[in-house]
Amino acid sequence: MRQITYKIQRFDGTKSFTQEYSFAHEPGKTILWGLQKIKDTLDASLTFVAACRSAVCGACAVRVNGHAMLACEAALDDVVERFGDTLIIAPLGNFKVIRDLVVDWEPKIERMKEVKPWLIPQDEFTAASGCRQSPAEFKKINTQTNCILCGSCASECNKLSADGSDFYEPFIYSKAQKFVADSRDKGDWEHLKPAVERGLWKCVHCQECITKCPKHVEPAEDIAKLRQTSIRLGVTDNLGARHALAFVADLAESGRLNEVKMAMRTEGILRTAARLPFALRLLRKGKINPLHALTGNAPVKGIEQVRAIMKAVKEAEK
Amino acid sequence: MLKFDVLVIGSGGAGMRAALEAGRQGNLSVALMTKMFPTRSATGMAQGGINGVLRNADPNDSLEKHIFDTVKGSDFLGDQDAIEFFCNYAPECINEIDYFGVPFSRDAQGRIAQRNFGGQSSPRTCYSADKTGHVILHTMFEQCLKHGVKILKEMQLLDLVVDQGELQGIVALDIQSGEIMPVMAKAVVIATGGAGRMYWFRTTNPFTSTGDGMAAAFRAGIPLKDPEMVQFHPTGLASTGILMSEAVRGEGGYLINKDGERFMQRYAPEKMELATRDVVAKGIETEIKEGRGFGEGVNAYVLADLRHLGKETILEKLHGIRDLAISFEHVDPLSEPIPIRPTCHYSMGGIDVIDHTRCATAITGVFAAGEASCISIHGANRLGGNSLADIMVFGKFAGRGATECARQRQFGGQTKLAEAAKLWQDRFNQAVSRQEGVTVASLRNRLADIMWNNVGIFRNEADMLAAQKVIDGLIAEYQTCKVGDSSKLFNTAFVNYVEMGNLLTIAKAVVLGAIHRQESRGCHLRDDYTERDDRNFLQHTLVTLESGQYKLSYRPVVITKYQPAERRY
Repeated sequence: MRQITYKIQRFDGTKSFTQEYSFAHEPGKTILWGLQKIKDTLDASLTFVAACRSAVCGACAVRVNGHAMLACEAALDDVVERFGDTLIIAPLGNFKVIRDLVVDWEPKIERMKEVKPWLIPQDEFTAASGCRQSPAEFKKINTQTNCILCGSCASECNKLSADGSDFYEPFIYSKAQKFVADSRDKGDWEHLKPAVERGLWKCVHCQECITKCPKHVEPAEDIAKLRQTSIRLGVTDNLGARHALAFVADLAESGRLNEVKMAMRTEGILRTAARLPFALRLLRKGKINPLHALTGNAPVKGIEQVRAIMKAVKEAEK
Repeated sequence: MLKFDVLVIGSGGAGMRAALEAGRQGNLSVALMTKMFPTRSATGMAQGGINGVLRNADPNDSLEKHIFDTVKGSDFLGDQDAIEFFCNYAPECINEIDYFGVPFSRDAQGRIAQRNFGGQSSPRTCYSADKTGHVILHTMFEQCLKHGVKILKEMQLLDLVVDQGELQGIVALDIQSGEIMPVMAKAVVIATGGAGRMYWFRTTNPFTSTGDGMAAAFRAGIPLKDPEMVQFHPTGLASTGILMSEAVRGEGGYLINKDGERFMQRYAPEKMELATRDVVAKGIETEIKEGRGFGEGVNAYVLADLRHLGKETILEKLHGIRDLAISFEHVDPLSEPIPIRPTCHYSMGGIDVIDHTRCATAITGVFAAGEASCISIHGANRLGGNSLADIMVFGKFAGRGATECARQRQFGGQTKLAEAAKLWQDRFNQAVSRQEGVTVASLRNRLADIMWNNVGIFRNEADMLAAQKVIDGLIAEYQTCKVGDSSKLFNTAFVNYVEMGNLLTIAKAVVLGAIHRQESRGCHLRDDYTERDDRNFLQHTLVTLESGQYKLSYRPVVITKYQPAERRY
């Protein structure tokens, strides 16, 4: 009979170890079914948490062969088709593990609190009569409200894995964006400021958070939206904003990036000068033309259309 | 020893709303205790909406209509004074959570959108697409963070400690450390949810709905009221029992048997699919029983057809439903009907609340709200959309009741608490060290089997007497069952063992209440007593634990304006 094997990365509070469990395959089941089967029939000490088993409570996210997913929703047949009948199951990455597949949410929530994840209502509204919001305004927050705090995005975030000290878990940016985008909220800067101060421009754009979110939340998109808002609010005195603005300026100027100016506009002349060895290497390979620092790029053919498009986008954003 | 003026147990909507209300009064120490992490609660699984007379979708809606719909929906077992109170406060509680940040769907004028729901004479169910419970739960959590509510996460309630009718505190297991901790409290709000997991295989409830608070209150001497009133939601996914929101019917979905017929015309010619849950569940099961369903036995089902609603409605308003149907039933409602069958959904019965304005119980200091409680506003059948309203209204008033109570009381002594903790410590040591005995999973599966087969939608005396015997046997086996994990660190096997004990405790009360309610009312359908019997049973069942024995008594239903009448939809 066909057997499924889970190689589970376990932790008992002091040591980590991998334990294998095998059980008979049944069609139409889920990863969580397998975990429950092990706990019920093979080893009651296997520790994981789960509640709703319908992909809405966020408790059961684990890593299967290196990919975060909700155990309750992940169809076993699909997963084994992709990875084979032996699966490696581990707790979420970028979380402190408590035991086996159980991770600690407390530090994450402490960080989330920094973006004031609650509505700061406009003065015109009251608790007695509630709020008003148009259907179109409601739509602007309808994806962010899908977040179930499962941690899948945080688990797979490459920036967090590299260094979490200057970056939030992706869902925290989505939470901030939920309130920034909410027409009922008056505290844009209060939600945004902590994000600007902690990593808003440091997302590495790997899009793993979007790919891994089981509820179609798009943290990387929300990070982009928060960046736009921060620039709109005039918060441009940072590398990220300057870099973005330099991009826009170049495009308007010539329709192309000016690598030399870009560096100077983003980092300033002094810091750019410190990158001279790197610039020389680029120069040797013909990647940059130092003259462009003075002359700028020659406008591309059709620059007028580029400018027209940019204007249209700006209009549309209003 | 930990101590709090107000301790709220359970972090669903009712618990968080109560903690928030208590926390907002200031000057009191308040804590919110949960066996998981706050946002893992059953509230988040509620999809369809929350009822309140806002008159946004229908200017002719009225409080009287909401009251009457609820009374009639309850099959006249709801207490009418409590229902009036509930309906009166629902609109302001909904406006209030809008102000807290609940992202409601909106009508063209920017007001909260409202839809039709089963058993209602007006579209008064406020919603946020089909994730209303989820967004309410998360908004409550946000507010708890805002107000600095102290959260004790991953703490399992073990027992309430009461001395001479007065609360002393509770004993809990700190799951992470494995410590058994006495906690002193002047007032406790029990908001631990329902006990649907006694029907393990076929319930919409999360794994955590194991009636921990109900069982603890029952052991402390508080009666369980109407425990036999267990609601079966008509539209559970056929193969898993996962909930397909009532919005499926509210938005106009059809229920179809294998002859392609909209069979609800036989059971509710006027309301059709929009009849109450008990009526629709009965209709579906009757179709299956009489051979007009698809499939056989436990795998039988009927179909919910949404295709005529159109792509836009399904994607906009039933998006989550569609995802669930695709993930768990491998069916896309845009192109195929969804196989569905009733599934255990809600405990109308629960901890006997005797003062609905404060959610107080018979024991000084103990309050109850939400599904764990029985106030009773849902009687023999809860209306869809009334449970989210219930937890927002009564969560708030329980929080207030507990606050007032805590202000008037002193902390009790520590002796009883220490004794109770010691007993649980011994129990932990013994239970986790047993090498022999049946597993908790085996007890759980057998309980679910007998409950589904013998105390399910259609009930009769012979089946239930047999169930009673089986449950007594399971309770005996439970005394020597095996936990299978002796670790102190995050021992979920021991938590499951505690939960199993609670499920057995409550299942026994469900069966006792059901056997003696010799009538059919709301969700309680007897083959051997097919009519409602107002002469004998216009009464709440009360099951009380006295010297280790289950005692049965009755209390008349409170009637204000609405005399029981025949119920037609």
